[in-house]
This record gives sequence, structure tokens and C-alpha cells, in this order.
Amino acid sequence: MRRILYACLGVFLLGVGPALAADEWGLAGEKTARFEAKVVDVLCELTGDCLAKCGGGKRQLGLLNSAGKLTLPLKNQTLFSGAALELIDFCGKQVIADGLMITNRGYTFFALQFVREAPDGKWRKANRFLGKWAKANGIPANSDKVDQWYEHDPNVKRVLAKDGKLGLGLAADRAYDKTQK
Amino acid sequence: MKILVKVVALSVAAFAIAGSAHAAGGKRMTVTGEVIDTWCYLTEIMYPEGTAHHRCAVWCAAGGIPVGIKDDDGKVYMVLKMESDTTNVVNPAILTIQTHKVTVNGDHYRRDGIDYLLVSKVVEDAGIVNQTHQKHGIQP
Repeated sequence: MRRILYACLGVFLLGVGPALAADEWGLAGEKTARFEAKVVDVLCELTGDCLAKCGGGKRQLGLLNSAGKLTLPLKNQTLFSGAALELIDFCGKQVIADGLMITNRGYTFFALQFVREAPDGKWRKANRFLGKWAKANGIPANSDKVDQWYEHDPNVKRVLAKDGKLGLGLAADRAYDKTQK
Repeated sequence: MKILVKVVALSVAAFAIAGSAHAAGGKRMTVTGEVIDTWCYLTEIMYPEGTAHHRCAVWCAAGGIPVGIKDDDGKVYMVLKMESDTTNVVNPAILTIQTHKVTVNGDHYRRDGIDYLLVSKVVEDAGIVNQTHQKHGIQP
């Protein structure tokens, strides 16, 4: 259960240690990794279809190293959230990315834990998502709602209010809930 | 004058080739599969498919984790475009089809071991057909 909490949710409970080295999350095929790369808009990199400022947080961002290898970050360090909002401030810049390189089910991808502008910028923990989410939704950054953003997010609420937690409609939710009592 | 025309023509041709270099990398294809949360599926940290995982998939899509389409062979295509919309983080159209079984047409790019798909058209949306909650509960 603890493994699920740490790994799935991307919870980082130990704080920012002095060495700022990536933490292991107990995932299959994970290896700590630190590398320098340029932050790029993945769609732009693949096709030449580019938006200003890497899409301003509306496009998935990748990490392109000097050899031309493109690494896709799937995760940051906050619950149920990705890496685009962690990297958007570095659009087009060289960064040092620190986290976990994970190879599983035949794919290799990255979980971003820390990032800084190369060569010697200040380290950032990859948890800016929460503050940006709070600001975008007009919620004070210190509100209890922020840590559980997914319970209060208007997009989530709209979809689940219509389709239910199973996606089959609210009647299916009620029928399922009865079986759990 | 002839030389100038040739230079201009060559320049235009070179520009056209350079401009289409990216687009030439895509392979047109049709994919049928389930719309999934890529993080939970690829890490295998919980049961990641169907109704058991639907709520989590909505959370993760709303949080900006890349959304994928998993075909019957287990191949995962990261969706970078949905029809005319080229945004792919918290894309409303993608958010509302989490867990659905869809058939899409699009352009496939493979780069450094990752499969990406630019969906040009959703040909069929069968809705949620993978009912897994009775066996797996709701996860997490």
C-alpha cells in the first residue's frame, strides 16, 4: 500500500535533502537519473507545429539532450499531476533534470523530481503544479483544497458529475456503492 | 536573370523540403484501443484499466499527465493532438473520453522508444466497455 502511495501518487514525503538527489519510489525498472537537456514542446519537436512559449503549459514538454535524444517526463512530485507546468518556465532553455528514469512495459520514460536551469541555477522541487493550480482556480495557496486539488478541480468535477467515478453514469455508481456496504 | 530565377527556385524548393521534414516522419494509421492514464499503466503501480481506474484516469488527465491509447497488443500511443486541437495538456476533448474504447485515425511518430499519435479523427467512440470494477474495485 505504501508503495502505491509513494509511486502512483508521486508523493515525496522526505523533503528536499541537502544533496538534492532523486529519491527511489520503488517502481519496477526505475533508476535515478540526472542529465542536462533542453526543454522542448514535444509536438513541435516531432512535427514543426509549434506554439509560442512552448504552448504556455498546454502542451507536453520533453527533454532533448545534446545527442538529440528526446525524453518524455510523465510525472512530477505532486498527486496525479504531470511535468508540463514544472518545465514551462524553462521553455527553450537548458536545464538539469533530476528524477527517475523508468523502463517498464517496453517503454522508457521519466519522473521529474527536481529541475534547475543549467549550468548552475537554483534547484526547484517539481511541485509547482499545486501553486499554479491554486492561482488558476482562485484558491488561496495555503487552502486545504490545494493538496487535494483533484477533489476540487472544476474539470474533474464536471466529468465525474456527469459520468460518475466508474464512467458508467451515476446510477451505476449507486449500484456499485450498494455492493460495497 | 536566369541565374536569379534558378537561385530563387532552388531556395523555395529547399525551404519547402525543410518545412516538410518534420511532417514526413509521421505514418498514417488507424488505432483501436482504450484511452488510458499512461503513468499508472506504464508503471503498473495499480490496476490501471477500465472502470476500476476511471476516476484516477480523469484525475491524471486533469493534472496534465500524458493521455494514451492502448491497443490490444499493449502498445501505448501518447496522444499529442486531438482533431483540430493541438493542445495536449488537460485537453477537454481528451479528458471526456478517458477509459473509452475508441478507433482513431492519425499520424504515428516513434521517437527514442516512445510512440506518439496525432489524432486527426475519432472514427468511433464505443464509450466505456471495459468493466473491471467488480473484480478490481476502484483504484486507488
